[in-house]
Amino acid sequence: MSKSSEGELSLEERMRRLEEILARMESTEIRLGEALELFEEGVSHVKTAGEVLAAAELRVEELLADGQVISFEDKVE
Amino acid sequence: MTRIESDRGLSPFDDSGIETSEEVLTEQSPKVWSVSQVNRAVYGLLESSVDQLWVSGEVSRWTRSRAGHCYFSLKDERAQIRCAMFSREADQLPANPEEGTKIRVFGRVTLYEARGEYQLVVRRLEPEGEEGLWRLAFEQLRHRLDIEGLLKDDRKRALPRYPGCVGIVTSRKGAALADILKALRRRAPWTQVLIRDTRVQGEGAALQIAEALTQLVNTALPDVIILGRGGGSVEDLWAFNEEPVARAIAASPVPIVSAVGHEIDVSISDLVADYRAATPSSAVEAAVPDVRVLAERLEQAGGQLGRTLRRVSEGQRSFVTEGRRRLQVAIERQFTPARQGLDRACKQLEARANHLTNRQRMKFEGLVGRLEALSPLATLCRGYSVARSMDGRVLKSTLDFTQGSVFELQVTDGKLLAETLGAGEGDGKDE
Repeated sequence: MSKSSEGELSLEERMRRLEEILARMESTEIRLGEALELFEEGVSHVKTAGEVLAAAELRVEELLADGQVISFEDKVE
Repeated sequence: MTRIESDRGLSPFDDSGIETSEEVLTEQSPKVWSVSQVNRAVYGLLESSVDQLWVSGEVSRWTRSRAGHCYFSLKDERAQIRCAMFSREADQLPANPEEGTKIRVFGRVTLYEARGEYQLVVRRLEPEGEEGLWRLAFEQLRHRLDIEGLLKDDRKRALPRYPGCVGIVTSRKGAALADILKALRRRAPWTQVLIRDTRVQGEGAALQIAEALTQLVNTALPDVIILGRGGGSVEDLWAFNEEPVARAIAASPVPIVSAVGHEIDVSISDLVADYRAATPSSAVEAAVPDVRVLAERLEQAGGQLGRTLRRVSEGQRSFVTEGRRRLQVAIERQFTPARQGLDRACKQLEARANHLTNRQRMKFEGLVGRLEALSPLATLCRGYSVARSMDGRVLKSTLDFTQGSVFELQVTDGKLLAETLGAGEGDGKDE
């Protein structure tokens, strides 16, 4: 629902995928080749998600009655 | 009330008393009452002569003092009575009744001596008829929604663990919004926030809230929506107890966190929503994970990835070692009989070959003997020799020799070089 841009995973999707990967890697019947692939993917999610967390600044927008979405100016304390 | 008229003998209002005063007035020594005495007497009269009673009317000029005592007037078309409801009873009220609300009260008529005003001290207050007190409306709506199953626990959905977009339905001017944004900045700064401003109190607020919520849901952007407002009086919070809001929440496919007023205020909106937060800030705590917790989880996940990979690869290595060992054993087992067979076959073959070679040799030797019998060598053995030209022709006739020509002479055990010295005796027909 909240893709930040085309083809890029949202933080939620990334975290969910990461949990999936971990669960799969914990399973006993995994082969080394698959584990390696999952490991690489997982590491990239950890890295990217970490960057998202570190860099993000709350983006606040307002939905108007006519359906327009505009940037919301509020006082930042 | 009739008892006021019927009860006699209470000075100074009994007939005789009044007459006495008139008499006193016309004569010389008038009896003078102090104000307190009069009020005390009236107080006593009211207290003793009027039983507790129910009175119905419309609420007017309702006020609540700091101490929690409520003062108001109860009126009908022609008259009004001042009423007091002390905090012990007033605190039981679910709400302050609105101006004009029809109610009935139970209490006693008494006199406030300090002012000389009579009043009704109210013990109980109940809504009169269908409309009226909040409580009644609240309970009715709750009952209706409950029958429809909209308040059931199993309708409540889990909130998303890592929402990317948080929707907010509240007043853009309210304290709640400021609290929510502040908490979001601190807790989940990666989120996108979409605010839908709405009036949250007053006439028509409930419909506006419902519309705002529906519109926000229809954008399909938010993963979770916080709906609410800050603290206020029961009247202020009332819109969140109205049916349109309840219906809009129940219809939302997006999980809703309701945060209306303070901890003690439970609204219909709270009951229908997927999660009830006591305050706007705790709504944020429910709706989004803390960035620190998330960062910790990521770090943990990184470690976990490494550990599991190591475990899998170690498992794999021992699997390979084990596999190789088992393969070897299997091969051994498979090939041992074959090898033994092969060995046996080799021996047989060798024996056979030896046998064959011996026969062959004997056969060959016999053949050689027969061949030798035919060979010129055998003749040579008997002392003959063969002369050959250097190019290998057999020289048979004297004509084949010329004076001085060199030729080869083969005898039984080798070859000699010879030279023709000249013709010998005889005709040369015999060699």
